Amino acid sequence: MLEISNLSKTYQRGNKEALKNISLKIEEGEFTALLGQNGAGKSTLINILAGNVKKTQGIVKIGQYSIDKNELETKKIIGIVPQDTGYDFVFTVDEALKNQSGYFGIKNNDDYIDELLEALYLKDKRNARLRDLSGGMRRRFLIAKALVHQPKILILDEPTAGVDIEMRHTLYEFLIKLHQSGTTIILTTHYLEEAEILCNRIVIIDDGKIVADEPKEQLMDSFSDEVRIELHFDHELNLADLEFLKGYDPQIEEKTSLKLKVQKKDLSKVFRMITDKKLEFTNIFVEKPKLEEIYLKLISH
Amino acid sequence: MKKRIIFYNRTGFTTLLNREIHRFMKVPVQTVLAPLISNMLYLAIFGGMLQTRQVGIDGVNYLHFLVPGLASMGAIFAAFQNPAFSIISQKFQNTIQDLNSYPISNAEKILAFVFGGVFRGVLVGLLTYAATIFFVGYEIEYPVFFVLSLTATSFVFASLGLICGLIFDNFEKMNFVLAIVITPLAYLGGVFFEISKLPGLLAAIKYINPIYPLVNVARFAFIGVYEGNIQVQIIITVVLILGSFLSASYIFKKGIGIKTV
Repeated sequence: MLEISNLSKTYQRGNKEALKNISLKIEEGEFTALLGQNGAGKSTLINILAGNVKKTQGIVKIGQYSIDKNELETKKIIGIVPQDTGYDFVFTVDEALKNQSGYFGIKNNDDYIDELLEALYLKDKRNARLRDLSGGMRRRFLIAKALVHQPKILILDEPTAGVDIEMRHTLYEFLIKLHQSGTTIILTTHYLEEAEILCNRIVIIDDGKIVADEPKEQLMDSFSDEVRIELHFDHELNLADLEFLKGYDPQIEEKTSLKLKVQKKDLSKVFRMITDKKLEFTNIFVEKPKLEEIYLKLISH
Repeated sequence: MKKRIIFYNRTGFTTLLNREIHRFMKVPVQTVLAPLISNMLYLAIFGGMLQTRQVGIDGVNYLHFLVPGLASMGAIFAAFQNPAFSIISQKFQNTIQDLNSYPISNAEKILAFVFGGVFRGVLVGLLTYAATIFFVGYEIEYPVFFVLSLTATSFVFASLGLICGLIFDNFEKMNFVLAIVITPLAYLGGVFFEISKLPGLLAAIKYINPIYPLVNVARFAFIGVYEGNIQVQIIITVVLILGSFLSASYIFKKGIGIKTV
């Protein structure tokens, strides 16, 4: 669906090398998180796909089309939700979405615009001027605008920045449904729990290079040699009685809950040690490292 | 090898053109009525004051001399401002990058911006004429040629407006060009008086002023009387159309002001 080979970008102003020979292939139906610090190269990559930035070298194919040879065809395949919530203050939501349909060669798109506005809770704002929308509404409007031509790939550049938590979850639900309906989605975000909830593939860019590109589960597994376990007991615990677990950083919480850090290979051994001491637990939780920890490990210099 | 595409998305082109027209039609007081009132004031003040002085072409009623000049001047400002304001306001609103995401060819985008300016220019020019009918009558020597001359003038200045919109990143610079370049050229372009009547070197300005042949061609179409060689001025008009449009196309295709290199 999207194929990038040996892509580099050096900005003429400041001679800054933003992308360093990156290659990436995104398959149809994937929900990919594109993560990285500010200035890592994510926005440059998205702007190259959008046609806002001219690449220095490399090949970019969107669908079956190259952006060098069939640029206009590639535009129909992608929809882009920009980071900036810029808007044309002259037009209403309805006028702007009809115009957007027209730019993509679509006439009489009212039914689909209705569907989008309904799904994004903007139906009652159809005749409101863009300048009268709140920040969250404007974010949702930008998603509707990126989708009016029913693109196969939706690229979202930090769509939930500055959006309240309730609206963020509304957007998550919308994106999950959109993904289930077959749209390939690429999401950049600084909220790593967002990527963890939504995406099935993680790409991490650091200093213009891809430092991780794996299915989410695989990436999480490869960094989960150490797990955190939490054991619940029906009686109060005493740290002095847990001396035999001192190699596993035991911590007692709320008197009856014990937290340990255990290497995966030692899990059976630890459980055996606990049962040998006749300590009977009533509940157990095993927690893998969060994406945030993995991300920080990968980008630490 | 990139394919050269000129016409690709007709609906996209007409939507963009409609937007450019819709944009100024939404604020008609500012975009149409204000220049019309200015032109009527020029007609009342200059027409009233100067019609007894020999500043127009000898033997021609001064109000008849003035109307095509005012119509051309109105068209020049309106046509220039439309694409320039549109592009700069899109930069200001951070929506300029949207232009790059549309499956519309560069030629279609350029024509949409230029035609939007042409529409506004011709509209202001014709409304100026319409508003003066009460004072000078409705007769036009060559009506179709008059509309064509307003269209040509508007085309040249819409292309220049597009160039300024792409190059400049704020309204101050656009207004600088309007106030420091275009307004003096218009005043010295034969709008209010016959350039040949200016003293010494000032009379020679007509040879380097692109507005002079445009106004003169419009005046010829309106009253059938002209200054200098009208055939040469028609050729210069065609050259100005081609030159301004090709320059705008070059700058647009280079991505100046809309793409980052």
